[in-house]
Amino acid sequence: MDRLLSLWQGSGLYNLSPGQAAMIGVGLLLLFLAINKKFEPLLLVPIGFGGILANIPEAGLALSAAEQAVHLGSAALLERFAEVLGVTLDPAAGIESWRHALGDALHAGSAPQALRAADDLAVGAGFNDGMLYSFYSVAIASGVAPLVIFMGVGAMTDFGPLLANPRTLFLGAAAQFGIFATLLGAVGMTTLGWMDFSLEQAAAIGIIGGADGPTSIYVSSLLAPELLGAIAVASYSYMALVPLIQPPIMRALTTARERRIVMTQLRPVSRLEKILFPLVLLLLVVLFLPDAAPLLGMFCFGNLMRESGVVERLSDTAQNALINITTIFLGLSVGSKLQADKFLALETLGILGLGVVAFGIGTACGVLMAKLMNGVSRMPINPLIGSAGVSAVPMAARVSNKVGLDYNPQNFLLMHAMGPNVAGVIGSAVAAGVMIKYLG
Amino acid sequence: MDDQQLLNEGLGLMGFGMGFVFVFLTLLVIATTLMSRAVTRWAPAPVADEAPSRRPPAADDDGELMAVIAAAVHRHRRRHRR
Repeated sequence: MDRLLSLWQGSGLYNLSPGQAAMIGVGLLLLFLAINKKFEPLLLVPIGFGGILANIPEAGLALSAAEQAVHLGSAALLERFAEVLGVTLDPAAGIESWRHALGDALHAGSAPQALRAADDLAVGAGFNDGMLYSFYSVAIASGVAPLVIFMGVGAMTDFGPLLANPRTLFLGAAAQFGIFATLLGAVGMTTLGWMDFSLEQAAAIGIIGGADGPTSIYVSSLLAPELLGAIAVASYSYMALVPLIQPPIMRALTTARERRIVMTQLRPVSRLEKILFPLVLLLLVVLFLPDAAPLLGMFCFGNLMRESGVVERLSDTAQNALINITTIFLGLSVGSKLQADKFLALETLGILGLGVVAFGIGTACGVLMAKLMNGVSRMPINPLIGSAGVSAVPMAARVSNKVGLDYNPQNFLLMHAMGPNVAGVIGSAVAAGVMIKYLG
Repeated sequence: MDDQQLLNEGLGLMGFGMGFVFVFLTLLVIATTLMSRAVTRWAPAPVADEAPSRRPPAADDDGELMAVIAAAVHRHRRRHRR
């Protein structure tokens, strides 16, 4: 009978907390959106599945060794933890509240040396880091996975349309206003007392407006790792929703005549220009913004591999095999941040809300900038390509093309929109560099 | 941090950040334009060499072809509208 009881007490059903059940539901919802609705399936499938894995009760896949030891260890071990972390345990309170107090001490308010000592203690007692926790430390905490993905994106990007019409870079710059407006929104919500975001957290939330998954993961891993799960989920979900969010804004801000503007054919761009461009960009980063060097450096490197034409095999690996492998681990690691006690908070709702606003403002600013440029320049510019200034390559450019075709079936804007689109990638990486410089 | 101070910091970061993004991309526009000009001026090699020999006839052909296609499309549309 005793054994039956211990089996029951070790089961998932006995230990499942309502929060974990809710998060498993969220994981299933992400899988449903990815599989049935085709929302960014490449990322939402691993994220959703990782989220389910992270919330399996008692398995502790997303916990560090110390967290697991505090959760599962014996009373004697807990007392040693209390000593190391400098927590006083109330002997009358019972073991469950001890676990709680020690868990809180691990999450916040302990000195780095104390945390390291606690980790050593846990490993000494035979506990190991959970699988997802290890993935997270290797892939995201180190910053590697987003940067490798950025290299792959660089290797996939053709800067031809941008080089043919470099002024579209301004559209990519204007759309980054979404990032900073959202930052201000998050700060404003804190001032009003609705939420409690620090400036670092507000900056990490703002980057969602850059519509660039790897950039937002990179920035939040540096500035606000505790919000990473919510930020990554918001970022990728809204990227999937670009075709729904953008067109109404684009229609509202332009007249039917502007939407019919036909743009002049892009000039051909020579191979030498394409080879030199990543080097020029890198030079500017070196001179003016070394903080964006990790992101833009990898991006330029990937692009140079593509355009140089002499390392076909490396370029092919960066675009396909390597980016796919990295995506798997990145997705699972983001999923590990979907733990109930961290994700189910009012802040998450705030982040999801601010994310939509960020996208909307970025789109609107891009369109308005394109209208302005159309007004002052001799070359006609269709304002619809402005919305592609938010990154989200190539989805945002396709949206511009589609809306353009609705009003003039002969007007193919895709190549024209690719210019601002890749400019948006550069713009959001620059904005990320500024944030890291200012707050890091 | 005080609320007011936080808001000021936020505003400062917004102004600084947006300004820097624009300055950086403006520099990139200038650098790219200069680079493109330099390339077309000093190293126009393959494109310029082939252009004179190939393009003029191709353009003529295209014009004729476009006219034929346009006429065909026009006729097709008229026939199907009725």
